[in-house]
Amino acid sequence: MSERLIRLEIARVEAAHLLRLVSDLLDLIDDDDATDPALSRLTPSPYPGDDAASAEYAAVTRTDLLGRRSTDARQVTRALAPAVAFESDDDGLEHYPLDIAGADIDAWLRTLTALRVVIATRLGIIDEDEHDDDDPRFGMYDWLGFRLDSLVALADAFDEYDEDVRSDED
Amino acid sequence: MMSTPASTPRLDEDLQLFAAPLEPWQVVVWNDPVNLMSYVARVFRTYFGYSRDHATALMLAVHHDGHAIVATGPRETMEVHAEAMHDYGLWATVRRAGT
Repeated sequence: MSERLIRLEIARVEAAHLLRLVSDLLDLIDDDDATDPALSRLTPSPYPGDDAASAEYAAVTRTDLLGRRSTDARQVTRALAPAVAFESDDDGLEHYPLDIAGADIDAWLRTLTALRVVIATRLGIIDEDEHDDDDPRFGMYDWLGFRLDSLVALADAFDEYDEDVRSDED
Repeated sequence: MMSTPASTPRLDEDLQLFAAPLEPWQVVVWNDPVNLMSYVARVFRTYFGYSRDHATALMLAVHHDGHAIVATGPRETMEVHAEAMHDYGLWATVRRAGT
């Protein structure tokens, strides 16, 4: 059986924006600034209020966790590369059919989520209804949310199809 | 079928079989303003293998009550689960059950 794919229709300019954000995320992970609140939010302690347990947990898990984030982000970067290879601005609105293997979908979902977490930390979003129409970063944040939500729907439908096929075979 | 044991255990010996009971721990996922409801439900379903209904109920508990216990078991296992939740960008904590 050939591998089934999840198709994401994305405008080339969108892909270019996304690629830049993912590249920023990779820089953030590489810099590994322990005082950066966005990075802290991506590597939270499971033992808040217990400094010793938090430190021990971070010593064991932090490097691996950031490594996995980096692997996810690089995978998304590779997938986006062909979509952003366009010549003039005219081609930018053209939709590129980006095919994602079912096994790769989690890397996409985790990376889009990480981008939203970082932007939310930068914007100081602490409430779901918080919004500032004049700040373009909110537009970016909402756009990522829209993209993530549609990708979750596609991934859920993909799983449902698999379940149906399996139950037909039973 | 089992043959007669070669030696009879000495019942007067203190084997401390009950000295260190396996204390259950919990993974708690906390509400945050960032993560989408559809995404959180999907993470619970795909990572823990919960049914759609159970995963959705847990997600709604996180959303409405501010947190939900998503797994219970040995501490080491719960730490692995918490780490996976952090991979997904959710905020999970680990605590002793009943605290």
